[in-house]
Amino acid sequence: MAVEIDRRSIWVLLVLKGLRPAFFVLLAAGFYYLIKMPTPEGLTPEGKNAIAVFILCLILWVSNIIPLAITSLFAIALVPLVDILPKEEVYGLFGNEAVFFILGAFILAGAVMHSGLSNRIALVIMDRFGSSPARLLLSIYLLAALLSCFMSEHAVAAMLFPIVFEIAKSLGLRPGRSTYAKMLFLSLAWGCVIGGIATFLGGARVPLALGILKETTGRTIDFISYSVGVFPVVVIMLLFGYFLLTRLFSMDIDSVEKAHEVLKRRIQSMGKIGYNEYMVGIILVVTVVAWATLGARVGLATVSLAAVVALFVLRLVRWKDIEEYVNWGIILMYGGAIIMGTALERSGAAMWIAQSTIGGWMVEPWLAVAVLSLLALLFTEGISNAAVIAILLPVGIGLTGGVNIDPVLVTYAIAVPAGLAFTLPLSTPANAIAVSSTYLTIRDMAKAGVIMSITSWVVFNLVARFYWPLIGLGGLR
Amino acid sequence: MKKSYLNNPGTLKIDLMLRGIRLPREDGPLAFYGRAGEGVDIVLPGGSPVNVPCGEEFTRDSPYVLKKAGERWLISDTTGEVEVRPVKMPEFLSRTTGEGTPYSEIATVHGSYVLILPKKECVFFEKKVECSYCAGGYDERPGRTHTVDEVVEVVSAVLEEGVSEIIYLSTGFTEDDDGGIGFLTPYIEAIKKRFNCLVAVEALPPKNNHWIDRTYALGADALLYNLEIFDEELFEALCPGRARFVGRKRYIEALRYAADIFPNGTVASHLIVGLEPPGSTCMGIDFLTDMGVVPILPIYRPRPGGALRIEPLNAEVIIPIYRHLYRAVKKKGINMNWMRDISVVTTPIEGRLIAGEKTGGISGLIEKFYGTRLGLKTAWGLSTLRRKLRVKEIEED
Repeated sequence: MAVEIDRRSIWVLLVLKGLRPAFFVLLAAGFYYLIKMPTPEGLTPEGKNAIAVFILCLILWVSNIIPLAITSLFAIALVPLVDILPKEEVYGLFGNEAVFFILGAFILAGAVMHSGLSNRIALVIMDRFGSSPARLLLSIYLLAALLSCFMSEHAVAAMLFPIVFEIAKSLGLRPGRSTYAKMLFLSLAWGCVIGGIATFLGGARVPLALGILKETTGRTIDFISYSVGVFPVVVIMLLFGYFLLTRLFSMDIDSVEKAHEVLKRRIQSMGKIGYNEYMVGIILVVTVVAWATLGARVGLATVSLAAVVALFVLRLVRWKDIEEYVNWGIILMYGGAIIMGTALERSGAAMWIAQSTIGGWMVEPWLAVAVLSLLALLFTEGISNAAVIAILLPVGIGLTGGVNIDPVLVTYAIAVPAGLAFTLPLSTPANAIAVSSTYLTIRDMAKAGVIMSITSWVVFNLVARFYWPLIGLGGLR
Repeated sequence: MKKSYLNNPGTLKIDLMLRGIRLPREDGPLAFYGRAGEGVDIVLPGGSPVNVPCGEEFTRDSPYVLKKAGERWLISDTTGEVEVRPVKMPEFLSRTTGEGTPYSEIATVHGSYVLILPKKECVFFEKKVECSYCAGGYDERPGRTHTVDEVVEVVSAVLEEGVSEIIYLSTGFTEDDDGGIGFLTPYIEAIKKRFNCLVAVEALPPKNNHWIDRTYALGADALLYNLEIFDEELFEALCPGRARFVGRKRYIEALRYAADIFPNGTVASHLIVGLEPPGSTCMGIDFLTDMGVVPILPIYRPRPGGALRIEPLNAEVIIPIYRHLYRAVKKKGINMNWMRDISVVTTPIEGRLIAGEKTGGISGLIEKFYGTRLGLKTAWGLSTLRRKLRVKEIEED
């Protein structure tokens, strides 16, 4: 562990140190006040308490003053403590299918990365298709998007980053100056972000949204239907993203020959494809097919867990290898968020919040989708996309009681834009990883990202209004 | 008429260090404590401790005599006498560690602090580029490394007996890039973990500043990188090891950086008075104080049998340097309460006595307070709080 010495004035440090305890004292006082205040009209006492817990968690999730997972654990403890739901039910909710689906997906993605398969696919595709600067750029962009359909976009960004970085170095691109380097790293980030919304697997936020949807309404969305619903958004945004990249920046190199030397060297150093890579690849393909065909009948989590068992039965991975790929914090966070969402719904608090805030004027379904998707887009630039879902979705579903809109549409309207973070490095790890290269500045990212965010909101709403009715998804007309 | 320094403890300390003292036969030096058996430690009026040579040849001509008058101890010269307090040998120094090492081999009392050398080693001696004035008693073979447990045992005894609240750790001089901090780390950690005392560290400037951050984060409350000589040519001639392995430039860089990290008045550097012209020492004082570093000025005395034969300066030449020291430190607003009451050197706070200035009011009270045990405990508490606020642990990339 290295150390850093904070050289600001000691008085500033003292004040800053005091802020944290003061924050918690204020938070506790506010929470106590909400619990003890008279129950507003139209709300049950449990609903009032659920809102108090929700506000507390909202502040903690947004401020990130304690880890997201710990806020979720806090919510799990508070829900039975203030008599919103019985404790047996609360802890039972943690065993939600979405939590186990995410766990299985993490382990499967970990096995794919650990075996080297994902790395090999990336290197081979870039080497085969990236014969010119434009084609290399496009292959990185599409590859990032493609891989993010099957693995967490964060993991894809982390996996591709060293390769893209080495390519940029081998081409002699100057950090902060080379426009081609900016294009390479933006294509990496955008590819991951756009690809990440294409399936349930790109990020665990869609399974979280499904978990909340299922617990609160009993409804669900299957693997194929979800991807079919967002397919036009993904395609249009990928096309627009490439168009924007090539308009905003120029390709300041003529040849990528040196990049190929790097790719070839890396491919050679990996050796021949081995048994583990073959078998993990087969299990991945079979799992995806099973999610698509059997998911609705046997459950997505069941398919995930069966795949995980297969990995270990065939001794393709060891537990020690997998542990580092499983983000246990996210799993805890999701369990807590599902419990919080259920508490808000069952106590009637979600509907009460929705009706007393936006329900009054949000009378048209299309307006509800437009507003919720805009909120999700804005929130996701500043806070974790899972937190966006935990905060917005229960309220959004509560809205469906007053507005004639399908809760499934609300789930799409929040879950999809929550993954479309283009503007800031803090919005998503893929952006942060791209900026960390130093080839790309925050300013470059923000400038291009704002255009992408606005476009994605417009595209999403056009798709919702004109495409979804065609596939029988709700009715927004 | 011969000039007498008896009435000013500041000037008396300097003259005693230069000329030594004669002891009455019936109360030989062993009755009192002297640094590692050298000289005798005496507390002068006002509380300044001084280690006075008493066994060397030159002390036979000293005008100063230590004598007993009833229960009182006096120092007299031809013009008068002044009451002093000889320091009794601390009890802990007569003990041995569980491993059989005499405590006195590990620790030495230097007035307000206790110097602990976990290992007596100087790489400059091994490479035959030692400082030509060195009186540190090093030789070409490194001494035994005392274990952390031994050092902790000694520190425990020091604090229990109330001898000092400041532990001064020295690395000796090693070739490592960290300047010796890596070696001292377990000792500093062990002391800081077990005791509420202040720790000062003397080391060589490390190659990289992150070691200075680390030194502070470990728990060092004060830091010394001893440049010894300010004049560039003399530095290279008299300190060939320091010049070759560290370099004057790096000394200055490290001191500047450390002064920015450590609290005001806790980063210090020795400039030996008498090895370079007084004007050069004064320039060094100004340069160091400009950076916020406390200059500490030991007085050069030739080592018996040593090759370097520079005639030591006399008190009349030296005293203005200390006056300049006090004024420079005061002018730059450097806290004088940390580096004080050291028996082997005159510190800036004692320079005030030489400058003839008196402190009163709040600053006088603060100064007195920090001289007490409670004051040192307070200093420890504030230093610990400051460290807690400033040090951030970060993940290594």
